[in-house]
Amino acid sequence: MSLDLGFWTLQALNALQLSMLLFLLSIGLTVIFGLMHFVNLAHGALYALGAYFAASAAAVGGYWAGFFLAPVAVAGVGVLLYSGLIQRMRKSGPMAQVLVTFGLIFALLDITRIVWGDLALGLEVPDLLAGRVALLGVEYPAYRLFIIALGLAIFGALAFVLSRTQIGAMIRAGVDNDAMAACLGINVERLFFIVFCVGCALAGLAGAVAAPLLSVTPDMGLQILIPTLIVIVIGGLGSLKGAIAGSLIFGFVQTFGAVLAPQLASVLIYALLAAVLVIRPVGLFPAKG
Amino acid sequence: MFRHTPLRYGALVLLASAALFQAFTADYFGLDILTEIVILAMLVIALDMVAGFGGMVSLCHGALLGVGAYGYALLSTKVGLTPVAAMGGAVVITGAIAWVIGAICARSHGIYFIMATLAFGQMGYSYVFEAPLFGGDDGLGGIARLDLSLIGLDLNDGRSFALFSLGVLAAIYGVAVLILRSGLGRSLSGVRHNEQRMRALGLTVWRVKADVFGLSGLISGLAGVMAAQHVMFVSPGLLSWTVSGEALVVVILGGLGTLVGPLLGAAVFVLLKHEVGALTSYWHLVVGILLIAVVMSRANGIFGWIEARFGARIERRAADAVRDIDPREVKTDA
Amino acid sequence: MLETRNLDKSFGAVHVTRGVSLRLERGERRVILGPNGAGKTTLFNLLVGELTPDSGSVHLAGENVTALPVARRARQGLSRSYQKNTLFDGLTVEENLGLAAAIHTGHATTLRRDSLARPEVREIVAEVANQVNLMPYLHARVSEVSYGVRRQLEVGVALATRPLVLLMDEPTSGVGPEMAKGFHDLLNNLPRDLTLLIIEHDMDLAFDVADTITVLNYGEVVFDGLPEAARGSTLLKEIYLGSWEDA
Repeated sequence: MSLDLGFWTLQALNALQLSMLLFLLSIGLTVIFGLMHFVNLAHGALYALGAYFAASAAAVGGYWAGFFLAPVAVAGVGVLLYSGLIQRMRKSGPMAQVLVTFGLIFALLDITRIVWGDLALGLEVPDLLAGRVALLGVEYPAYRLFIIALGLAIFGALAFVLSRTQIGAMIRAGVDNDAMAACLGINVERLFFIVFCVGCALAGLAGAVAAPLLSVTPDMGLQILIPTLIVIVIGGLGSLKGAIAGSLIFGFVQTFGAVLAPQLASVLIYALLAAVLVIRPVGLFPAKG
Repeated sequence: MFRHTPLRYGALVLLASAALFQAFTADYFGLDILTEIVILAMLVIALDMVAGFGGMVSLCHGALLGVGAYGYALLSTKVGLTPVAAMGGAVVITGAIAWVIGAICARSHGIYFIMATLAFGQMGYSYVFEAPLFGGDDGLGGIARLDLSLIGLDLNDGRSFALFSLGVLAAIYGVAVLILRSGLGRSLSGVRHNEQRMRALGLTVWRVKADVFGLSGLISGLAGVMAAQHVMFVSPGLLSWTVSGEALVVVILGGLGTLVGPLLGAAVFVLLKHEVGALTSYWHLVVGILLIAVVMSRANGIFGWIEARFGARIERRAADAVRDIDPREVKTDA
Repeated sequence: MLETRNLDKSFGAVHVTRGVSLRLERGERRVILGPNGAGKTTLFNLLVGELTPDSGSVHLAGENVTALPVARRARQGLSRSYQKNTLFDGLTVEENLGLAAAIHTGHATTLRRDSLARPEVREIVAEVANQVNLMPYLHARVSEVSYGVRRQLEVGVALATRPLVLLMDEPTSGVGPEMAKGFHDLLNNLPRDLTLLIIEHDMDLAFDVADTITVLNYGEVVFDGLPEAARGSTLLKEIYLGSWEDA
C-alpha cells in the first residue's frame, strides 16, 4: 500500500468523479420525491436511455451531439411518462406511483433491447477531453475531470436557483407544504411537471456522460439505481444538501473501501446503509426532519 | 388477521383440484410447469405475509429464495450434509438473514423500506456472483433431491416431485394461516393499521416486524430449497432483482393481502410466461405492462377484484343461512 | 404515582415547556387547563416519551422513566388517549380493544393461538367495553360507528392495557353535550385507584370531575390547586379571555 501522495490524490479524484456522477442522478430523484412524494424507480432506466440516445447521436454527430441531445430526448420521454402515466396516478397515493415506476423498469429494459439490440454499445471520449491533465502531482484523465467539473457546476447552478430565484422559492415552498403552496397561488401541478422533466434531463445527462466510461447495456439502469437509492437514503430525501452529502459519502466509501479493504469493499457500503437505517432512518439531511 | 371466506375456500378447492388433475395427467413438460408454479406460489405466500398483511413491501424475497437454494446446494454438495439436514440448515439460515433484514429495516416505511430491501437483495446477488465459493456465474450443479424411498417415493420422478411440492405448498399455506391467525398475526395487523398506537400501547414493534419477516424468510428459504432440488442446479440469477420484482408482480396480480389471490397469480403468471416466451423474448416488457395495468386499474388484483365484485353477495347468502341469530349476540368467530 | 421535575422543552426558539413540575398521587384525578398553545399536548408527549425533554425528569410509580422509550413506559403502566382518534380503522371495536389487551396480558406475540380467543384477553375486553359503554358495538367496524362512539373507543383502547396512570387528551373534543355528560358517568365507572390526568376545555366537566386543577399558560404552570380556588380566581378568566389591558 503506497504512502505516495499522488496515489491518494488519484483515489480522491476517482471518488469525487463517482460522487459527481451519482449526484447528477440522485438530485433529480430526490427533488422529485421532495415535491411529489414518490420515488421514480425508473430513474435508472432513464439514465440508461440517456446513454443509448447519446451513443446513437454520437455515431452520427460526434460526442457533443450526444451530450446535448440525450438530456433533451430523455426529458421528452419524461414528458410522455408524466402525462401518460404519472399524472393519472397522482391521486392513487405514493405506493401506487412507485409500483407503476417499478413496472416501467421492466418495460424500459426490454424497450431498449428492442430499439438498440442486445449488444453493448460504446461511446468514445471526445478529442477535446481525451488527454491527461497534470493536477496536484498526478496525471489525471481530462474526461473524468470534466465530469467532476460538470457535477460541481450543476450543483452550484441548482443551489443558486433554489435559494436565489423565484422558481427556486416556489420549489422550496412546494417541498415544504404543497397544499399550502397551492393556496398561495403557486401552480403546483406545473411546478411538479417542470421539476420532473428537469430531473429526467439530468438523468439523461448522467447517462450520456457516463457512457464513455462504462459499456452501454440494457441493465446499466439497474446497476446505477441501487447506488443512487443508497445515496438518497443515506443523504436524506428531498434536499440538495442530502443529495450532495450522500453522493460524496458513497463515492468516497466505495472508492477508498475498494483500495483499503478489497474483500470488504462491496459489503462496506451496505453496512453503512444498514447503520443509517437503524440509527437515523430518515437520512442525514432530509427535507423534512 | 386472515379469515377464510366461502369464496376463498372455493378458490382453494378449485386450485387444488386443478393442480392434482394436472399432476396426474400431464406429461413431463406439464409437470415441470406445475412444479414451477407451485414453488413460485410458496414464495409469494411468504411475500404476501409481509407485504399484504404487514404492509412491508419487500423487493428482496427473490434473494431470500436464492439464499435458500444456495444454502441447500452448498450444505448438501460441499459440506456433505444429508438432504434433510441440508434442507433444515438452508431454511434456518434464510430465516435468520431475513430476521436481520427485517430488524434493520423496521424503522423504515413505504418507499424507504422498498429501497432498502432492494439494496440488500442486490447485495446478496453481488456477493454470490463474486465469491468463488458459490461458483460465480457458472453456479453450482450436482444437487440431489430428497430421498423419500423409505415411504416409497422416488422424487427423481417428475410426477412424484410435483406431488411432493404440492404437499409442501399445502403445509406452507397452513403454516401461513396459523401465523396470521395467531396473536402475532393480530399484532402485525395492528402494526399495519396504526404502528404509532401499537407502540404507545407497549408493543415492541421492531421485534414483531423482524419476527414476521424472519418467519417469511423461513418459508422463502424452503421455496429456495425446493427450487434447487427441482432444477438440480443453482445460479446467481436466482437472487436477481427480477425474481424479487416478479414475485411482487405476482402478489399484486393475484391480490395483495388475500393469501389465496397470489396462488392464483402464480399460476396465471407462469402460464403466461411460457406462452409469451414461445412468441417473443421480450417477457420483461409484458411483466412491466402487466404491473402497470393492474396498479392503474385500482382493483386489488384478479382475486381482489373477484372478492370486491362477488364477495359481498356470497357472504350475504351464507349469512342468510344463519339469519335467526341476532348478530350482536354471536360470539366472535375467533 | 406520576411526577415531573422541572420539565423543559424548546423547539428552536420556541420555549414550549418551561420548568413544569407536577405531582399526582395514586387515584388522583387532575385536569389540566390552559388556552391553545399553552403546551398541554407537548407535556403529554413528554410524559409518554414521544418527545425527549431538554432537561428535567419524568417519574412513574417512583421510578425515573425519562430515558425509557414509549413502549417501555407503556408496559410499566402509562397509557394515553389521543385528541385525534388514533384507532385501528379497518378492524372491529372488539378487535381494537383486543389488540391493547393482548399486549398487556403478554399474548400479543404468541404463535400458538389467536390472542382474542384467550380468556384473559376476552375478560379485559368485556370489562373495558362495560366501563366505556361499548357493549352494543363490539362487532361493528370502527368506520361504521359514530364519532362519539369512536371517542369512547379511543379511551377504551388506552384502558385495555390496565394502566396505572391514564393520560386523556381532550376526551370530549368534538362530541355533543349529552356525550359530554355521558363522559362524566364513564369516569365514574373507572377504577378508583386509576390515576387520571386529563386535558380539557369543557370547564363544567373539568370542575365536576377534578380532584385538582393545574393551569398552564405559555408553557408554565400558573396555578396548581383545588377546583374551588381556581373557580374563584380571576387568573383563569384573564388567561382565557384576556384582561381589559390587552384590548
